[in-house]
Amino acid sequence: MKNYNVVGQSVRRLDAAEKATGTAVFSSDFTLPGMLYGKVLRSPYAHARIVSIDTTEAEKLPGVKAVVTYKNTPREIFNTSATMTFTVPALKPVLDQYIFDSVVRYVGDEVAAVAAVSEKLAEEALKLIKVEYEELPAVFDPLEAMKPEAPDIHANCKEGKNIIGEIIKIPMGDVEKGFKECDLVIEKRFKLPIVKQVQMETQAAVAQVEVNGKITVWSTTQTPHPTRMILAKIFGVPNSKIRVLNPPYVGGGFGVRIGLSAKAEPIAVALAMQAGKPVRVIYSREEDFMASDTRHGGYVTVKLGAKKDGTFHALDLKAALNGGAYCSFSTETPGVLGAMGLAVYRIPNQSYYGHSVYTNVTPAGAMRGFGNPQAMFPIESVVDMMAEELGMDPLELRLKNIMRAGDPWCLPYPCQSTGLAECIERGAKSIGWERRGSLNQPGAKKLRGIGVGVGTHVSNSWPFCVDYDNAIVTVQQDGSIHLASGVPDIGTGTSTALPQLAAEVLGVGLEEVSLTFGDTLSTPFDIGSHASRTLYAAGTAVVAAAEDAKRQILEYAADFLKVSPERLEIKDSLIYITGRELGEDCAGTGVCKTGEERISVTLQELAYHAHLRNKQFIGVGRIVPENAPPWHAHFAEVEVDTETGQVKVIRVAAAHDVGKAINPVIVEGQIEGGVLQGVGYAVSEEIVHDAKGRPLHNSLHKYLLPTAEDIPEIDAIIVEASDPSGPFGAKGVGETGLVPTAGAIANAVYNATGVRFYEIPMTEEKVFRALSAAKNSTC
Amino acid sequence: MLQDYLIPETVEQALSHLQGGKGRARVVAGGTDLLLDLANGKKEAGVLVDLTRIPGLQEITLEDDLIRLGAAVTHNQVAKSKLIQEKASVLARAARSVGSLQIRNTATVVGNVVNAQPAADAAVALVALGAVAEVVSPSGKEYIPVEKLYAGVGKSVLDSTSQIVTRIQFPALLKNQGSAYERLEQRKALALPMLNVAVVVSLADNRFQWARIVMAPVGPGPVRATEAEAILTGADVSLGNIENAAAAARAQANPRSSALRGSREYRLEVLPVLVRRALEAAVVRAGGNC
Amino acid sequence: MSSKILTFTLNGETIRVVVEPSDMLADVLRDKLNLIGVKKGCGQGECGACTVIMNGDAVTSCIIPALKAEGAVVETIEGIGGPGKYHPLQESFMDLGAIQCGFCTPGMIMSAKALLDKNEQPTREEIREAISGNICRCTGYVKIEKAVSTAAEKIREGK
Repeated sequence: MKNYNVVGQSVRRLDAAEKATGTAVFSSDFTLPGMLYGKVLRSPYAHARIVSIDTTEAEKLPGVKAVVTYKNTPREIFNTSATMTFTVPALKPVLDQYIFDSVVRYVGDEVAAVAAVSEKLAEEALKLIKVEYEELPAVFDPLEAMKPEAPDIHANCKEGKNIIGEIIKIPMGDVEKGFKECDLVIEKRFKLPIVKQVQMETQAAVAQVEVNGKITVWSTTQTPHPTRMILAKIFGVPNSKIRVLNPPYVGGGFGVRIGLSAKAEPIAVALAMQAGKPVRVIYSREEDFMASDTRHGGYVTVKLGAKKDGTFHALDLKAALNGGAYCSFSTETPGVLGAMGLAVYRIPNQSYYGHSVYTNVTPAGAMRGFGNPQAMFPIESVVDMMAEELGMDPLELRLKNIMRAGDPWCLPYPCQSTGLAECIERGAKSIGWERRGSLNQPGAKKLRGIGVGVGTHVSNSWPFCVDYDNAIVTVQQDGSIHLASGVPDIGTGTSTALPQLAAEVLGVGLEEVSLTFGDTLSTPFDIGSHASRTLYAAGTAVVAAAEDAKRQILEYAADFLKVSPERLEIKDSLIYITGRELGEDCAGTGVCKTGEERISVTLQELAYHAHLRNKQFIGVGRIVPENAPPWHAHFAEVEVDTETGQVKVIRVAAAHDVGKAINPVIVEGQIEGGVLQGVGYAVSEEIVHDAKGRPLHNSLHKYLLPTAEDIPEIDAIIVEASDPSGPFGAKGVGETGLVPTAGAIANAVYNATGVRFYEIPMTEEKVFRALSAAKNSTC
Repeated sequence: MLQDYLIPETVEQALSHLQGGKGRARVVAGGTDLLLDLANGKKEAGVLVDLTRIPGLQEITLEDDLIRLGAAVTHNQVAKSKLIQEKASVLARAARSVGSLQIRNTATVVGNVVNAQPAADAAVALVALGAVAEVVSPSGKEYIPVEKLYAGVGKSVLDSTSQIVTRIQFPALLKNQGSAYERLEQRKALALPMLNVAVVVSLADNRFQWARIVMAPVGPGPVRATEAEAILTGADVSLGNIENAAAAARAQANPRSSALRGSREYRLEVLPVLVRRALEAAVVRAGGNC
Repeated sequence: MSSKILTFTLNGETIRVVVEPSDMLADVLRDKLNLIGVKKGCGQGECGACTVIMNGDAVTSCIIPALKAEGAVVETIEGIGGPGKYHPLQESFMDLGAIQCGFCTPGMIMSAKALLDKNEQPTREEIREAISGNICRCTGYVKIEKAVSTAAEKIREGK
């Protein structure tokens, strides 16, 4: 195990002080002189045509400076998602959104917006906008939406009724033949709920349009560069005239703003253009719930076939996801669901068929895990069912079948590392796996159980989407370092981890490195923060840039010290000749008192020396990342109150192979936060709609995410199966924390009660009914 | 739009502000429900009259075996009060279960009662304790049992533009009396109850002298399970009797189906479990055993 | 015109500010007094991001009418410490990885401070109760809990 100076250290985050003192600026804190406040009018209907819209009264209200609708905003079609607007062939973009349209397709869809001198006035003005709607038939379930009698929600569905974009098919081997060769086949359909990111800062944007046409947008986007491209397209302005940046902090994301922050940016820009003043739009929490992307719910069918010795031989996976009213990430998500579902186990015959379906509910888009959690609850449940049928221990069955490095799989890059076996071993130890079967006394009303779930993921979205990174390392005249990267820090700690990488490569202390991030004006293109990619991919670019700068430094130093560059190394900002004793010498004085040759020079002296000779060291990193699989195994212990149906998650042991933990405390934090989201996904979180398509869960009071009084014991275990393609061996971790959790908890509930759930969340009422039914059926 | 926010120093001043408001001025204590209702148009007011600084209303007192809570007493005060924990623990537990600590620091128990939501935790406990509200208005002072304050779902018999509840009082529990609170909730903070049950029992020689069993939300206000109480009056303390009482309580309950907090059928199934658990716990605290 | 002058003690100083009766304390602190550490995550008292300490108790300032703070003693994150003299809670949050996106952090620290000001030896249950109204979607609360108990230890040792 190599020892690094700053990589692998849990250094204090560089943004911690600002955040701990309340001085960190977020978009919702950002103000400009003369700034106006924007509010949005939203559709009360799930599907309707706007017959007429009259804004004259609103415009007349004193203090109102702009009113926008579909009539006076660009008729430029787009997709709010970063990757979908500019897709990698052969995938075709699905563009189906305008800032405002004359048809509304879900309760909450944007109808108009107002900018006024105060929020209260803007809200009053909204009430004065007269809209006449013609209600249209609506549909809310994806299977219903595919029936011939369902209303058409968009006009561009070539693959079938309301099917969004393309159907994803991943074939491998011959599943039909494979199933025939199996001794045991289990097939089951599962239902997944709609859930929400509930990041703490709602969608927000501040837009300023200058008289020369230059546009600046401060927003909560996770991807400033792609967001700029989308805005440029919408408003017909060159990229170079738009600046998008975070101010610089973002209050979480979890996928809700990969690309535009719902419609916050374009609405703010449209209002600012009309008003001639800067405009700030902050979504209320209710708007954030109703009108920003959710996770895809839907139906996933797993058919798994095995030989009687437990070898998996065939897997057929199908998904029909609820895409909601607009595409957003609805073609990529089923793709990831399939790709990840098929990548966990070594199975020669596999097939995936999946897609999303338009319905008249809030658009579904990216949320942490991006299809993978939807794949693994079903798959891990079926694997446990298989273990029971075969009479095998669930761990044994998994260990027998999980991917090994070098095994073939359906992904277009090799599996070069896996620490999953170690994850399973260490997680099992932490939970006390051997206690299974002896947890409950006969007649107990509260039953305990232990279950496991495993999974994999990606370390960025190459080659599925446009995914590349650039970074620039500039050595300042005094030897301090400036690093520029286009990724934001949405809370994941990139603004600390990336400088750690640069500092390690350059051989300088962390305090020497300052980072500019998340600003299109001062950083080169980077896709941004999504797909668990920032450390792996942006980090690789940072390493490349730092290595480039280091090369230039050593070349220059070689000339300065009169040795060949291969003999030089840098440590603590000192460039020195390796193999020579670093005793007293004349470094820094410029005068050799002893008459001996110089054996070292500080970076400070060297950089200034170069500056006086008209030179600066500038390192550029341009990379297209490879990809690498992180692996994870979650073990859950639950207690089920059979008299009420309540499921309490007591403990989760979450073992994650992250390749290399660049900052272990940050990695643990990512795992722990993910696990708790996974617990919520399994037992309490969901958004359901009433008969008119109105979401019932539209506030923090109603949406049941876990509070501090609901948390289980969480043991985050870091495993490091280094991947050759990652910076210092690192792989992605951001999304992985909730991929296998629901499966582990559902398997634990089965272990406790003997009742299996094919639907999450396992709410108290659902569990109670299932337990009652089981009791009645055994009488 | 609020035109004024007044903080009177005496009850008389508060009454006079209300009178002056001619129906547009209303009482506020913590305001955690009221401010949201005003913001979304469910209630209206031109002037708010804040009771929380009136001396004497912030206290929890015990006098002649009667516990009194002033109108400004917060949920957290009640939850942490040694007096309430020892002599009316059902109320301490009920108050503790509401919202979050920040809400409990602001929201008052009296306000919770006047807001008249059917499953208001503190109110359910107060009905079990036989609590009475001291109501002051221009026509004088009257005492109304908390149980009788409900005019309909979310509707109090009281008119907050002219009447002020200054205190709520109830007898402190004696050594042979015990109480318990059971709450079915979807998470441990920031959650309304799916069901709540408050129980107070009085025992002698391991027999029930009387019991008060209050359940919610199974009607427009907290509901006394009077038939269950009748079964227990004079009965031996036994699991069998407790289970009978629980079944009788279920028969008197009429929960609606909530899209958010459980169907009617589910709540009817689980209600007797809560009643049973509450009775078992209250019996133990009263020194009895099943 | 219904404006009134609100007078109260804010982070140790006497403040006078003009407010409307319908203003909430959080908006006065953020917009009139520029204390952006008081965050708004929901405007309904449900997320805790706006938590301040008022007369010793943690409260959600977005549903506290500003005029209710008349004569009160109010503390926000801006008043508890800074470079060179951080509050033990700020130190432990920074050192132990209890901060990710940072949006919940000020409110979380204020809830914790209200607890530690009254109770220097909180149990795990008491810590969880104190932050029960502060939603964090990033951390899973694990390192937050550790930071609060570590700060409590530091405060006890400091005496």
